[in-house]
Amino acid sequence: MSGGLESTRRLPRIDAAIRAIALNTFREAIRDRVLYLLLVFALILIVVSQLLSLLTVGDEEKIIADMGLSAISIFGVLTAVFIGVSLVFKEIERRTVYTLLANPVRRWQFLLGKFVGLMAVLLMNVVLMSIALSIVLVLRGQPPWDLVPALFLITIELAVVTSFALLFSTLTNPILAAVWTFASYVAGHLAWSLPLLRDKVTGTIGKWVCDAVYAVMPHLHRLDIKADAVHGLPLPDGYVWMAALYGVSYAAVILLLASVAFERKDFNR
Amino acid sequence: MSRGSTTMVLLVAVALALSAVSGTRLERLAGVRVESQELLYLPNGDYLKAASLGQAPFLADVIYLWAIQFYASYEREDRFRYVEHIFGSVIVTLDPHYIDAYWMGAMILSVEAHDIDGALRLLDRGMERNPDNWMLPWIAAWESYHSGRLEDAVHYFDVAANIPGAPDSVRRMKAGLLGKTGDTRKALELWLEIYNDDETDDRSRGIAERQVRRLKHRADIEDLSRIIADFVARTGRRPTSIEELVEAGDLYSLPLDFDGQPYLYDPLTGVANVADGSLFRD
Repeated sequence: MSGGLESTRRLPRIDAAIRAIALNTFREAIRDRVLYLLLVFALILIVVSQLLSLLTVGDEEKIIADMGLSAISIFGVLTAVFIGVSLVFKEIERRTVYTLLANPVRRWQFLLGKFVGLMAVLLMNVVLMSIALSIVLVLRGQPPWDLVPALFLITIELAVVTSFALLFSTLTNPILAAVWTFASYVAGHLAWSLPLLRDKVTGTIGKWVCDAVYAVMPHLHRLDIKADAVHGLPLPDGYVWMAALYGVSYAAVILLLASVAFERKDFNR
Repeated sequence: MSRGSTTMVLLVAVALALSAVSGTRLERLAGVRVESQELLYLPNGDYLKAASLGQAPFLADVIYLWAIQFYASYEREDRFRYVEHIFGSVIVTLDPHYIDAYWMGAMILSVEAHDIDGALRLLDRGMERNPDNWMLPWIAAWESYHSGRLEDAVHYFDVAANIPGAPDSVRRMKAGLLGKTGDTRKALELWLEIYNDDETDDRSRGIAERQVRRLKHRADIEDLSRIIADFVARTGRRPTSIEELVEAGDLYSLPLDFDGQPYLYDPLTGVANVADGSLFRD
């Protein structure tokens, strides 16, 4: 009974710690002038979309939608990598992590707060850029609704990339962390080649290794439905939700690993 | 101005001049390179797709835009050497649902490069990957028609006509083309099908009615002429009337035209015609 009361009393405090760290991370990212980048992107998108009519023959809206989705995805990944990899490192370097952890804040809460804060920034990026893209498409008489599932899965993909950035941020310096995060992103998009390799490999051990690596690697190519969305192609029932569940659970696993690594980290070394 | 600043300004001026001169020279040198060399090393779409890390449709757009500019330039004489590779192996491999790339590539191949086989190969690939799109077989039909391949054209119109959402005009094209290939009965059957279809719009039904009338008359006269020729060969004389052909068992009954009128027959020439003589007027 008392345990129950204690847990209900503690919950808001846990929430408050994560929320405070998340809010701080969000403000810090905004101070990094991410918004200016977005504004520039939105303007470029609008100007370029008008210029495209001079260059292409056929469906201009297809090119605008492709370009918009790719830009949202690439800008999002770059933001996740370059802000994500320095999140933990900066706190350690400035020694603010000591002050933070001296408070009743657990290390995993600190990490989760950082993750939530950066995801809030990324979500804002995606929403703002999606609005800019939608305005361009609507002005050309093209409803943007078909693109919503692709935008949703781009956000999920960004959650996976952010979780990798945080994991590597707890393990090494920002440059190496950026390299490793980007490598994970590349590997995630090339994961489809492993089953092909498995078919070519002779020998049980080789096949087993391919299967194991394929199971462990993030299947980011499964979260990519941009072409389907742009062409309005139907996806199998429940595909988007299943992909989202996969992405969220994968990010959760990586965050847990990051928490374990962060718990074991000795700040005095 | 200090001496240091003057030196700096001079250095910047020299660098700018060098850059301008070398840039101009470089442009001239670039102009004498083998013209299609830049296309020679463009990798296959499969490799580009793997390297694009999920941005394949965007990459397809970029190459498509570049290809349009490239093929629109009439200064390059050998520009059609890699057109099938660019559109067929690169752009539509990156984005298999890029309908514009199929038809644009096919148009460049057939109209500019005079490679109708290449154009039809590209369109066939598009049909295979986009079986719900009637535009591609429709374009293939026109490309075949313009190159004189009427049977291929009929086949592609048939494919297009059977895809849900294809407009009535596609079936009309097929029926019209069947008439041109000489298969009057088949064309008549198809026009009748269009004429009797409840979903046919009024405009198409009007066109179908005119075609059914014309083709029925033509088909009946063709049959009558053949039967008269058989009669002449068998008896050594022309029949005195169409009724005589019925009595002789060459016809089951007296044939009537679309408006229910009996056909005209001239026993002196042995030529049959419609009641108003319109068949030989059009």
